[in-house]
Amino acid sequence: MIFVGELSDLPPGESARVQGEVAIAVFNVDGELYAIDDTCTHQDASLSDGWLEGCAVECPLHAACFDLRTGRPSGPPAKKPVRTHEVLVQDGTVYVRESAPVGADAPVNEVV
Amino acid sequence: MTTGEIAASTEGENLPESLRETLPGHYYTDPGIFRAEQAAIFEAQWFCAAYGDDLARPGQFETVQIGRESVLVTRGRDGAVHAYLNVCRHRGARLCTQERGEVRRAFQCPYHAWTYSLDGKLVSAPNLTAMPDVDRARFGLHRVHVREWLGYVWLCLAEEPPSFEDTVIGDVTARLGTPDAIVGYQVADLKLGRRIEYDVKANWKQIVENFMECYHCATIHPELTEVLPEFADGLAAQYFVGHGAEFGEDVEGFTVDGSAGLEPIPGVSQDQDRRYYAITVRPQVFINLVPDHVIFHRMFPLSADRTLVRCDWLYLPEVVDSGADLDRSVELFHRVNQQDFDACERCQLAMDSRSYRDGGVLVPSEHHIGEFHDWVRQRTG
Repeated sequence: MIFVGELSDLPPGESARVQGEVAIAVFNVDGELYAIDDTCTHQDASLSDGWLEGCAVECPLHAACFDLRTGRPSGPPAKKPVRTHEVLVQDGTVYVRESAPVGADAPVNEVV
Repeated sequence: MTTGEIAASTEGENLPESLRETLPGHYYTDPGIFRAEQAAIFEAQWFCAAYGDDLARPGQFETVQIGRESVLVTRGRDGAVHAYLNVCRHRGARLCTQERGEVRRAFQCPYHAWTYSLDGKLVSAPNLTAMPDVDRARFGLHRVHVREWLGYVWLCLAEEPPSFEDTVIGDVTARLGTPDAIVGYQVADLKLGRRIEYDVKANWKQIVENFMECYHCATIHPELTEVLPEFADGLAAQYFVGHGAEFGEDVEGFTVDGSAGLEPIPGVSQDQDRRYYAITVRPQVFINLVPDHVIFHRMFPLSADRTLVRCDWLYLPEVVDSGADLDRSVELFHRVNQQDFDACERCQLAMDSRSYRDGGVLVPSEHHIGEFHDWVRQRTG
């Protein structure tokens, strides 16, 4: 498991970037936490710097949108999905469990 | 004297008591002098760039030419106005080419997609995460100093701006006699009723000088002189301190035909009622105050012989929202503007004539323009 930080440091609307096998972005969408690969599949940009739109993040460079639940892009310019990862909250601390297959659905985790 | 001989030049020391010298003609045409003015005046002083209501929402922006720089002005998510040099920090591309517009979240360079937040920070760029040593604040857009006053956005490109109170507010105070005299007009609370832009083929100093004197009023401003009969004497409101030109006896309001104006601004005092005040805020703002509206001119000097003038007519918000007919109110000063700018363009044509090589003369009612010339010369050397 990858340590992300204290939940209190990741309020709704905010994101964090952590290093797994590759960089992973963690988002707090109105209290629900999501994690996806941080690098946009279109061009090397950090999605944690992107803009949250509901349950999607928009890449700050060329506006590719990725669904945080599935990792799938909503349309061009990105064509390939990003991986999604499981997020766990234990005693107010946020962790990510890096998953393997690209495009696999990861469960949504309620904040406890 | 043979015909065709040019009369002796009007050198300062030879002038009769009544006359004073102007600037020589080339001050109005020489690109080198214009560059010096850009550097030492427009990039050094407070410059009134934008109207606050034109940047009402976060992400609304305007680009303005100040001296030699293009400046990007926008409103941030924090509600404050921010201004930046309109240059990408990566390879120097002009960031925004539009004169005005609105971005949702960020300004992005169209060249390599370096992306800046509304508060100027570098938020994203291709491969940026592979360059962890790049500080995003340090490589944010270069900031320009911002002040908001009278509902307008004033910028200063100098690293150490002059005191806003001493310069901008100082000019208003010097004209009106007290810093409180403008307060009652509630300028920041007024609303834009009409805006007219004038592309004037004249040097910016022609426009300032014209605005400062009224020797021309009886000749070129019949409508204005009808409303303000004392202007026929040739003494501008700006000739005095704290003087407002009084409306004519039969005049009901500051309108093209002297008919009634709009609802008066409640804060205007008894002694300011039925009077017209005019203020020059150096280097590029003129403000006219009348009981029911405020006329606010911003000049954007584009080259030695071209100046864009943006003129706003501001009224009480309820007047504008009611859809009241502003035509007769606006028409008076719109005509004055056209008459003035025609005159400025007529002078500009002659600035390179050998007849005007050493300049012309100022009559007594224009002598105070000499202070403006001194102000320009002190700064440009």
